[in-house]
Amino acid sequence: MPAPIRPQARAFRDLERALRRRRLLGLGPRLRLEFALLALLVGAFLFWQARVPLDGLVRAGGAGAAVGAVAVIALILAAASGALAGARLARLLRTGPAGPEWLALPIKPAALERHLAWEARRYEPWLWVPALAVLIAAIGLVAPGWLVLLTLGFLGLQPMAGRIGCALGQRAARGATEARPGVPDVVRMLATAAPRRPRPRTGAAVWWRAPAWLALAAKDLTFTRRHGPTRRAAALPIALWVLSVAVWWLPGESAMRHTLAFGLSLLAAAALAEWLIALVDSDPFAVLRVLPIGVASVWGARAALAAAGTLLVVAAQAVGSRELEPHARQLLLLWAGGATLAIGILGVNYGVTLHPQAGVAGRMLGLSLALAVAASVMLPLSGWIILLSAVAHSARRLPLWPRLEEV
Amino acid sequence: MLRIAGLTRRYGTLVALDGVSLTVAPGEIAGLLGANGAGKSTLLRTAAGLQPPDAGTVSADGVDLWASPVEAKRRIGYAAEEPRFYEELSAEEHLAFVAAVRGLDAAEAKARAEDLLGRFGLADRAREPVSRFSHGMRKKLSFVAAILHRPPVLLCDEALEGFDAASALAAKSELRALATAGCAVLFSSHVTETIERLCDRATLLHQGRVARVIERSAWGAPPSGPSALEREFLVVAGPTPR
Repeated sequence: MPAPIRPQARAFRDLERALRRRRLLGLGPRLRLEFALLALLVGAFLFWQARVPLDGLVRAGGAGAAVGAVAVIALILAAASGALAGARLARLLRTGPAGPEWLALPIKPAALERHLAWEARRYEPWLWVPALAVLIAAIGLVAPGWLVLLTLGFLGLQPMAGRIGCALGQRAARGATEARPGVPDVVRMLATAAPRRPRPRTGAAVWWRAPAWLALAAKDLTFTRRHGPTRRAAALPIALWVLSVAVWWLPGESAMRHTLAFGLSLLAAAALAEWLIALVDSDPFAVLRVLPIGVASVWGARAALAAAGTLLVVAAQAVGSRELEPHARQLLLLWAGGATLAIGILGVNYGVTLHPQAGVAGRMLGLSLALAVAASVMLPLSGWIILLSAVAHSARRLPLWPRLEEV
Repeated sequence: MLRIAGLTRRYGTLVALDGVSLTVAPGEIAGLLGANGAGKSTLLRTAAGLQPPDAGTVSADGVDLWASPVEAKRRIGYAAEEPRFYEELSAEEHLAFVAAVRGLDAAEAKARAEDLLGRFGLADRAREPVSRFSHGMRKKLSFVAAILHRPPVLLCDEALEGFDAASALAAKSELRALATAGCAVLFSSHVTETIERLCDRATLLHQGRVARVIERSAWGAPPSGPSALEREFLVVAGPTPR
């Protein structure tokens, strides 16, 4: 028995309300605040971009010219809104919309079309930001009555443009599918919709015979290139190293450059350790455990990467710090290199011994480094004692690695 | 030879394995049957070195797994029930990594990997990230990785579940070839028919204990080769070797 139309429309209304709420909550408070600030910034920028020309128009052609300009902008924004909705609908119909298997549900095609159009028009409110900025920019230049009329006009035009855009988008998507008499357009389009899932291909694998630690380190580098979060984790220490070298070209006191370079090197070392923890965390428990690979190889691969990072720091600082006296330069290289190696190894130790609990490893690293920094501030050099003690203490758990279990 | 002696494994108060002992001789395909929760996967995971036992020993070719884990694991292949991979690596890269860690000859491993990927219908997808693979494809890749080094001991945990008919036949044929070459295979399944067709002996696990051991002579010789339905499937969707 076909479902009655009214409850179905109500079901869609409830669904859309729930989706709207979920999507908003899904952003999280911080991201919501960031979006609000971004909208405010964009709005403020557009306000100033509009205010001066509108003022010029009023002076040159009177308030009528400004009204005309605001009306044209509102029209353009409404048209952009419609074009966006149309493009999104066409894409939804070609690639398949989110949600359940729509065609398996007893939904009238018209109701489905309406819902998909709603989905396509999801970003319409973003156009309110420039519209509002321009309308606010016109305050004081245009009579209040005109402002109210222009606001109402935009609010009326935008949904209309959205509907026109969706109709055009549907037509565009329909053109790409084969005509079938008796089958509603939306059914035909969704039946042939295919999600756009490109099948990325990698290059040929490198087949080689290598010690296990080297094979693992090479795999780590490949994995870092492929896996977004790990790639970003690796990019941070590199960026900080570049900065730590770049500061040597800053104007001002040499002591300031020296301090900045060392401080940035330490930050880079902490970021390096986090990347190493992320690498260890990327090891699927069941993959390495069934291979003939021991803790020495698992640890050695990542320690080798920490050592490579240390060499990079020392080489980069050696290039940057040429202005220092030889003794001060040697001390900087020793301190920066030593700290990078120790912090890197600490990250590896925590990552390996606490695998697969990367979160705990990260927190332990943060705690150890915070303690070392606090100790250094209170008593010079005591931070080294804390750091090296943490390295030694965390290494004591390494022999337990073979007996770790998946949690 | 695979020798499991007095293997016990507890999860809190639950005794998943209670003193299980069994031996699989070279050239033998031993089946492991049991209901869900009988302890089959726990037994195989413990025998593969994924989790330590609370008591008992596992040895592969005379090498104790927990005394010399690296040496023992050189001799073991393990096809997991729920395989895990580096999702961003391709199937080929995963196999190359496994081959390098196992210290296999690069050219030989590459040739074998290509042959196996072709036989299991993965050749065309070998350079795609594993994250794009279906469940069946992941199972096949896990099986290929497990037999890449022609291990003397092979542990298969519901290994053929999710395989299409052609790949299942290829896997059975590969298992027989490995056994003929002297590999000791421990093959778990909850499908009795698979055990009947493939294995020389079946061990029935029940509540973490060996309930019974049945020799092949007890169930008779199964029909050799593919069934009528499998033959039809092969006609339509047979393997596409590389």
